[in-house]
Amino acid sequence: MPAEGTVFLLDDEPGMVKALTRLLKAEGYAVRAFTSAKAFLESYQPQALGCLVLDVAMPEIDGMELQRRLTRSGALLPIVFLTGHGDIPMSVQAIKAGAEDFLTKPVNDADLLRAVRAALQRAALQCELIAETALLQRRHSTLTVREREVMAHIVAGELNKVAAARLGVGEHTIKVHRARVMEKMGVESLADLVRAAERLGLETPADPNED
Amino acid sequence: MVASACLTLAAIHLLIWSMNRAAWANLLFSLSALATAALAGCEYWMMRAQTPAEYATALRWHHIPIWVIFVTTVGFVLVHLRAGRRWLAWTVCALRTLSLLLNFTVGQSLQYLEITHLRSIRFLGESVSGAVGVRNPLLLIGQVSALLWLVFLADAAAAVWRRGERRQAAVGGTIAFFALATTVQAVLVFGQVIAAPFAASPFFLAVIAAMGYELTREVLRTAQLSVSLRESEERMTLAADAAGFGIWMWESARNRLWASERGRHQLGFTSGEPLSIPAMLQHIHPDDREAVHRGLKLAGEAMGEWRAEYRVPLPDGTYRWIVARSRMYPDAASGMPARMLGVTVDITARKTAEQALEMQRDELVHLARITTLNEFSNSLAHELNQPLAIILTNAQAAQRLLAQTPPDLAEARDILADIVSEDQRAGEVIRRLRSLLKHGQSQLLPLSVNTIVEDALRIAHSELIGRGITVHTALAASAPKIAGDRIQLQQVLLNLILNACEAMAANPPASRHLTLASAHNGGIIRISVSDTGCGLPSDAESIFKPFYTTRKDGLGLGLSICRSIVTAHHGRLWAEAHGAAGHSLGAAAARPAATLHLELPAVT
Repeated sequence: MPAEGTVFLLDDEPGMVKALTRLLKAEGYAVRAFTSAKAFLESYQPQALGCLVLDVAMPEIDGMELQRRLTRSGALLPIVFLTGHGDIPMSVQAIKAGAEDFLTKPVNDADLLRAVRAALQRAALQCELIAETALLQRRHSTLTVREREVMAHIVAGELNKVAAARLGVGEHTIKVHRARVMEKMGVESLADLVRAAERLGLETPADPNED
Repeated sequence: MVASACLTLAAIHLLIWSMNRAAWANLLFSLSALATAALAGCEYWMMRAQTPAEYATALRWHHIPIWVIFVTTVGFVLVHLRAGRRWLAWTVCALRTLSLLLNFTVGQSLQYLEITHLRSIRFLGESVSGAVGVRNPLLLIGQVSALLWLVFLADAAAAVWRRGERRQAAVGGTIAFFALATTVQAVLVFGQVIAAPFAASPFFLAVIAAMGYELTREVLRTAQLSVSLRESEERMTLAADAAGFGIWMWESARNRLWASERGRHQLGFTSGEPLSIPAMLQHIHPDDREAVHRGLKLAGEAMGEWRAEYRVPLPDGTYRWIVARSRMYPDAASGMPARMLGVTVDITARKTAEQALEMQRDELVHLARITTLNEFSNSLAHELNQPLAIILTNAQAAQRLLAQTPPDLAEARDILADIVSEDQRAGEVIRRLRSLLKHGQSQLLPLSVNTIVEDALRIAHSELIGRGITVHTALAASAPKIAGDRIQLQQVLLNLILNACEAMAANPPASRHLTLASAHNGGIIRISVSDTGCGLPSDAESIFKPFYTTRKDGLGLGLSICRSIVTAHHGRLWAEAHGAAGHSLGAAAARPAATLHLELPAVT
């Protein structure tokens, strides 16, 4: 079964684009093919679920340059690079910049399909992650100022007593707030709350010892 | 005695004339001498005459040798001394001829209408006959002719003297003096002023002697000339030998070929082998023979100069290269082709050196081409890799399509068609590569410059992409063809492209622009390669010098070899700087910094 999402194909060689399209379509993938980076950029929607099979050597905007541009624009599109004469430094650079894979032409069908499947899975995962984060953000925004403060102290690992002392309230009040936070954030345990805080990139309160 | 002396001289000069028909003076002299001998005979006859009738007959006949002597001496002066007035000569001959006719028609002779009797005269201790009779008034005509003869001779002698030829003038003077003596004697004898027999022959003998002296000198001089000619010929042969020249001469009239020893050797003759034109042609390499034959014939007919380089095969299977030069000379008199003089030089050493140089040049061009191709090896590998990658992916896609139920046969058929065309494309890349690697002699064929540009761009395609260079082309439509070696011209273009790439290596990718343009103007076709790189050195010509390079690993032969290739195509290759550097951004980014122009003549 093919993974979900569109495979974007970009190679300046029309013959190559045609052959890859055939192969991917035979495997049941939805394919959108382009022969220039410009044409691709014009029609690409950042929220689309998919991956990009990209030729490195192209006139005008080459593969590496396109990767840079996509990263800058915040697009989360996993890239499978294809190259006629890939050298190691180039592949290292591409992988470091977040490429899913770096394959050398002529490419074996199994290798390519494996890479595409992995890329699409990652894309799906990223999509899920984004959706989850958005949900958490929405939930976090429903917290009161006090609740956010309490949450910050809890996820920092402070005991109720300590947090109450630092916030200048009673321990019971802390307990009530804590229950409200857990409920509003839709988590069952402290560990889940910590993960949600991490996902949201919340700041931990300043350590009083540092003052 | 007079007669025998004259006959001997006559015989000698008749012989000379028979050997050299152009020696008219010798013939005239011979005739004079013969006539003088005959005159001596007639005079002897007259002296011994017993009857008036016999005397008259002898007298009549003696006018014939007289006539001959007049005509031949006049002729001799005209021909040999190249002097005397022609009208006077004609008048003398005409009057003398008239005298001769009258001599045989009027009276008993020109002197006497009738000889009445003979008288005995003492002469040199002997008794000889003299005539007494009625004088012929027409003798005056004879005397006038004799007078004019004297005037002619004296005038001619004076003319020769004035010309500064003292010796010839003396000869002419002598002839004139003895002619005068004869005439005076005749007048005295026939005017019966003195009692003496008519004896002109001794005087004429003196005339003959004077003429003979002159001609003998001529014969001696000819002999001397032939000796000095032989010496000069020896000197010339020696000089020619020292310079390595062979000399030869062909006389058309006698179809005789002569050659100096070295000439014989160079023409391929063995010693002792008879020389002839057909044999000479036979010694020439069969491939060159026809051309030599044609050239020789043409030069012979048109009396022109002929030059040819040809081979003479040697017994050991090698051959000797000869350059031959000759010229046909006309005969001085007729103006018809007479002699062909020729020089041959052995140029085997030069030819061998030339061939070695040619081979070295070819070798260098080939080496440079391989170096250039080496620069494009990545590009070529990619060009070959691309169709192979397409073929593999297509084939694997087809495998999957055929494994489906039902198999997608229509798509599989399309795939096979694509595989075939990609395979052909790969084959084309290999063919192009092989032709560039091939080591062959250059051959000039009609070519389209646009095809050369497109071919070179195809080879450089991946390299240019890899280097982030944007390529622009502006090719002239319907440019006339040029005559060139496709491989070598591709080599030139690849080098120019490569140089442009190198020049732009330091540019930011957005300002790496390569422009290839072709244009034609009249019979000249121009290809221009422009780049936006670092420009040219202040002395733009220096980039064409051997070993000029800006790279650490470069040999610096690329452009110098390019120029030598273009020059061999009768074209020009030069660089043009555009002033402003090409590094500027924006719209001016594509403005070239340097252009290399290549001009080739169109095929006519």
